[in-house]
Amino acid sequence: MKVTRREFIKSQAAVVAAASAGVTLPASTTAIAQSGDEGLRWDKAPCRFCGTGCSVLVGVRDGRIVASQGDPDAPVNRGLNCIKGYFLPKIMYGKDRLTQPLLRKKDGKFDKNGQFEPVTWDEAFDVMAEKWKAAIAKSMEENKGKPVEKMTSRVGMFGSGQWTVWEGFAASKFMKAGLRSNNLDPNARHCMASAVGAFIRAFGIDEPMGCYDDLEHADVFVLWGSNMAEMHPILWSRLTDTRLTKPGCEVHVLSTYEHRCFDLADNPMVFKPQTDLAILNYIANYIIQNKAYNQEFIEKHVQFQTATTDIGYGLRPEDPREQKAKHRGVGKKLPSSFEEFAKQVEPYTLDYVSELSGVPKKNLLRLAKVYADPNKKVSSYWTMGFNQHTRGVWVNGNLYNVHLLMGKISEPGNSPFSLTGQPSACGTAREVGTFAHRLPADLVVKKKAHRDFAEKIWKLPEGTIPGKPGYHAVLMHRMMKDGKMNTYWQLCNNNMQAGANMNEESYPGWRNPEVFVTVSDPYPTVSAQAADLILPTAMWTEKEGAYGNAERRTQFWRQQVAAPGESKSDLWQIMEFSKRFKMEEVWPEELLAKKPEYRGKTLYEVLFENGQVNRFPYEGQITDDRGNAYENHESEHFGFYVQKGLFEEYRLFNSAPDIIKKGHEMAEFQAYHRARGLRWPVIDGKETLWRFREGYDPHVAEFNPEVKKGDLYFYGNHKSNGGRANIIFAPYEPPAESPDQEYDLWLCTGRVLEHWHSGSMTRRVPELYRAVPEATVFMNKRDARKRHLRDGQIAKIATRRGEILARVETRGRNRPPRGLVFIPWFDASRLVNKLTLDATDPLSKETDYKKCACKVVRA
Amino acid sequence: MNICSCVVHTRPERGAEIAARLEAMPGVEVHGGEPAGKLVVTLEDTAHAQAVDTLSAIGAVEGVINTVLIYHYGGDDIEQSIPEEDHP
Repeated sequence: MKVTRREFIKSQAAVVAAASAGVTLPASTTAIAQSGDEGLRWDKAPCRFCGTGCSVLVGVRDGRIVASQGDPDAPVNRGLNCIKGYFLPKIMYGKDRLTQPLLRKKDGKFDKNGQFEPVTWDEAFDVMAEKWKAAIAKSMEENKGKPVEKMTSRVGMFGSGQWTVWEGFAASKFMKAGLRSNNLDPNARHCMASAVGAFIRAFGIDEPMGCYDDLEHADVFVLWGSNMAEMHPILWSRLTDTRLTKPGCEVHVLSTYEHRCFDLADNPMVFKPQTDLAILNYIANYIIQNKAYNQEFIEKHVQFQTATTDIGYGLRPEDPREQKAKHRGVGKKLPSSFEEFAKQVEPYTLDYVSELSGVPKKNLLRLAKVYADPNKKVSSYWTMGFNQHTRGVWVNGNLYNVHLLMGKISEPGNSPFSLTGQPSACGTAREVGTFAHRLPADLVVKKKAHRDFAEKIWKLPEGTIPGKPGYHAVLMHRMMKDGKMNTYWQLCNNNMQAGANMNEESYPGWRNPEVFVTVSDPYPTVSAQAADLILPTAMWTEKEGAYGNAERRTQFWRQQVAAPGESKSDLWQIMEFSKRFKMEEVWPEELLAKKPEYRGKTLYEVLFENGQVNRFPYEGQITDDRGNAYENHESEHFGFYVQKGLFEEYRLFNSAPDIIKKGHEMAEFQAYHRARGLRWPVIDGKETLWRFREGYDPHVAEFNPEVKKGDLYFYGNHKSNGGRANIIFAPYEPPAESPDQEYDLWLCTGRVLEHWHSGSMTRRVPELYRAVPEATVFMNKRDARKRHLRDGQIAKIATRRGEILARVETRGRNRPPRGLVFIPWFDASRLVNKLTLDATDPLSKETDYKKCACKVVRA
Repeated sequence: MNICSCVVHTRPERGAEIAARLEAMPGVEVHGGEPAGKLVVTLEDTAHAQAVDTLSAIGAVEGVINTVLIYHYGGDDIEQSIPEEDHP
């Protein structure tokens, strides 16, 4: 029997699909599939896109990924793929991949107004190092005589929740320890900062207590500002399965417009922007009025507090809205009690909140009843609707309040769960601590004990790490515009397209002649085109990597193929760039005097050849258990197993015996190459599914030896209040900008299923491009008609900050109510962030991309 | 050249009927799963339709509850035959 490759592949495709569905196929199909393995080398890798963390199998032949399938052994996706994951390997093979560094030049020299010309890595780093050294010299002058708590810096780096764990770790070490600058922030500031803030305020430790297993255990699902059907399709298919097979299961969906999740909703609710704060307080009030709360749980496990109110909108200080705010940016929590809390939520009656939110009373009541029913297990999910919110920390907290009043937490099915937008917003941005105020493993730069601990691990003299938080994402653009930050290195994201208020802040900042901007990217994105220097980047499986998903699962992959041309990973770039600095150029004499052996060394030697990072030899290739061999371009170049060395040094922060904050423990490096990921804390090689409950989480009994079987202990707050979770009252306060006579519509931005973030990868996959080629403005039919606009017609959308053109869509997948329009942000040819306002949550510094005022007219 | 597979969910009693409708589409083959309402489907690019378009057409067929993607091949060497010695 002669079998063509096509027949073979088809039967193979059928067999794996059948296995995922649990269907038996005729022997004739399976026989062909077993007839040979096609010469493909198969290995696992987590998906490059969202925070779900699906595992895919990638098939490599002749140095190219030619096939992929959902990983049947992966607990997250169980062999399934969404459409982006399906075409995943194609993101690496876009026609316009960058293959060499490009520098703006005129007459053979760098010129900010010159044209991009190809240069060598040497020339690229020479020019870049000259700019960075000039800025550092200025900072060192300005910092003379200042205590470490007051230090500032003129150099900055903007990283990513798509960085590998070791890229984030190396970046943090390079910036905070090496260059003594806390101006390192990830794009996760735009997506997860509010979630982080609320976790720390309520539980004293970051990330969800539950896991994806809750999707099969819950009786009721509530979606708050999350379009899971499009943004987390694999989790949505698990949720759908439970809804369709479990008797009595219900789905409640809340959003400011109807989207695909509404198709499955038993209780659909469209609310007016910002009123989610009030709806949650109504539910708390309902629970208290009906005495449905879990008294025993509250007495044993909860502490009541109240938030400082009237805190402004994180705009520039001269903005009238900031001038008016009584407690601008104040995050202080004040002591409270159950009785006081009950009084505070009392005004949030069904009548008042229904009127304020526009949600009919019967829907609100039905929602409140499921939370208040002690016999129903409720899992709540949210993403950017909560997080990108000028009261993001508050609204996250108000939901915890509801779960905590009922004790519906930390057990299968009862789960307030913050979904993540990026593949390693948790693993890299949050756990490694690449935020301007953080250090690895939930440590913060403000606390001297935390800095001391980091300095000890990193073998640095006391007082190396600055104690003042650096510039966060939005502040970086403002500081660049004002000339106070003079170098900016953006890696693994596209912030010119992603940052809010592009016309007034981002673009003027980047193009300020006093600022030198470097962008590392595989493709010529909007950011790359606005930069001064572009560095070509190895992406995804062109390097060995590790990601951490939304359920605390850390997953590794090996380098599968070589990157094109001269592209190198961000890790290579950061480490190689550090060779350009002599210690004397970055540290003042009094610091060097504390560690004289570092004199004359390069930053690279001090940070990466410190006897820890370079401790594991590289054997010339990486092999797996099945005997397959893989390249590793960084280890080849630097001469040691770079990823292992960095990960094991990182583990000194989260897993060594003397660590400051317990609860983030991870397994040793090699364990992750074998497992389909492990959920931390990993204790004695065993992962933790539900945190804070005895029986699931071994830390509970360790912190509280008196604990009864199955009881809880919120050990993140062990020191602050004896292991209680905080219920923190926060009121409804209006948004920064609401529609008025002239700008009469709400503008909400977001994503679509087919494209991921700014589209820099998915728009280069022909199938995905064709599926959704351009961003449209989704609007209500009556709003369109009133403006004499028809479906498919070009409209002009304008705000106080800018305008763009887009086609009107009134019958699409998103169906806004009257008064609101939705525009996705993936489309580089119509940049919706020319329209958005850079208002942020004053506590988390995360931008509100969901609410500003716009008008729509015929173009 | 794209060859893909997916599982198409239908109500079990309508599996066979919907399988027949899918088979009529260019490049589509149903390999089994009718009784369970979980159709194992492969699709490939044809002169008339790209696999990805066929995929969205499947999603729009009345009675299809959900389409789950499983496998994708995107190599260019599809018509080659595998040497005899590689398979029994």
